Amino acid sequence: MELTITGANAMTSPHLHVWDWRVSLYLFLGGLSAGLAIMTSILHVRKGGKLAEGDRAAITAPIYVPVILTIGMLFIFMDLERKLNVFWFYLTVQPLSPMSWGSWGLLVFYPVSILFALATLPAPNRRYLLIPALIRWSEKLQRFKLQLAALNFGMGIFIGVYTGVLLSSFVARPLWNSAILPVLFLTSAMSAGAAFMIMIAQQKKAKLFFTKVDIWLVLAEMVMLPLFFYGQYTSSGAHRESIMPFFTFNHDYFWYGIGMLLLLIVLPIALVMKYLEVHEDHGEELTPVALMKMNVSALMVLAGGLIIRLSFVYAGQLSHLS
Amino acid sequence: MPKYAMVIDQRRCVACMACVVACKKENEVPPEQFRTRVVESTEGTYPLLRMELRSELCNHCDNPPCVYNCPTGASYKRKEDGLVLLRKNRCVGCKSCLAACPYDARYINEEKGYADKCTFCEHRIKEGKEPACVATCIGKSRIFGDLDDPRSNVSRALRENHHEVLLESAGTKPRVYYVKKFSKPE
Repeated sequence: MELTITGANAMTSPHLHVWDWRVSLYLFLGGLSAGLAIMTSILHVRKGGKLAEGDRAAITAPIYVPVILTIGMLFIFMDLERKLNVFWFYLTVQPLSPMSWGSWGLLVFYPVSILFALATLPAPNRRYLLIPALIRWSEKLQRFKLQLAALNFGMGIFIGVYTGVLLSSFVARPLWNSAILPVLFLTSAMSAGAAFMIMIAQQKKAKLFFTKVDIWLVLAEMVMLPLFFYGQYTSSGAHRESIMPFFTFNHDYFWYGIGMLLLLIVLPIALVMKYLEVHEDHGEELTPVALMKMNVSALMVLAGGLIIRLSFVYAGQLSHLS
Repeated sequence: MPKYAMVIDQRRCVACMACVVACKKENEVPPEQFRTRVVESTEGTYPLLRMELRSELCNHCDNPPCVYNCPTGASYKRKEDGLVLLRKNRCVGCKSCLAACPYDARYINEEKGYADKCTFCEHRIKEGKEPACVATCIGKSRIFGDLDDPRSNVSRALRENHHEVLLESAGTKPRVYYVKKFSKPE
């Protein structure tokens, strides 16, 4: 039992959490934009582009990717203590720092997602670009749509994995220091991307296609989460201790317990709802009730992703090697 | 080239906190923030209790996770003497090093915004002096010197005493050693 301590860490002084909700939101929105980039590429490539035909999401989804990423980046920028020094990220490459290769990766992801958005813009909509140079670019890039889709897909995977590697590289924080975390975050990012796609897609075929995709992704998440906790529990004492906030329902760890309970409720319900949506006979058009159910289950998946980021970021800082 | 290290002889510490005060004064550490601390912990059950007094500071690791995780190269390990230092002008305050350090040795300087830490009083070493905490230690619990010099106080202390490092399993290879036992190595 420690009697007195003049040290400054999250365990003795919870207000000294290194990273807070801003980083959680950055990881969530970064993951969402990565997942959406992957799903957008699939939308445009699937069945030779037939899935995207006539759907508004084919135009809006690629535009949402850099927009969501920008909002996420804004949160991580808000978290920096010395904002004016941010240019130093791009004056060096630190190969052992995930944050360094992540920041360079984002520098590639941004233009790729914007170029893909330009390439996928249909001819009648190009007039909204207003700037003639952009309109010309959009026309020229049309030919490279497939290549850009592949690049967009690859960068989406990279950023999705990166959001997990950012945390898993810290030997000092046993909760984060797991090889499952990057895969879990990637799966959660893709699942959130598919859920977002379901919400913005107009046509029944696209909505149902991404619902099917999301069923497998949510299922994968639901397998990975217990495996992650099992791995931690059977590892060293510090790793075992690190997951205790999620399973100790006392006032110290109240929010972590609630987070775990919500995940146990939200993900299975979303899964069942999606399963029923796919197997329901919808007829020609989706009814307003069916649309509402789809949106609710998609929102549940998004909420699950946010809960995972928030609880892992905070609980990880409580975990300690000693 | 010197290879600086510190030995904390816990048998001689009285937890007077003079090292903490000297460090704060020497390095202008903001109020309520610390580069070094003395942890007082008790073991056992009453009335059979034992107290451990453990000075903690940056371990100037040979495998420093704070340096590896720094995205801008602001944190670096100086080749000449192995000190883990900070290029303050490069620090963006991303707090990656704070999360990476298993010893919780870093903090964000509330006045300046950078991720500050103990430097073994690098500015004093340059002048041939000992770090402020070592110079002020009344019990001679803190010992500083060059590991490569067999006649240095640290080399002698490590040769003559059982010693250990904090969180050895983390693989950081710290350069702060702790002497706990009252016996010599055989």
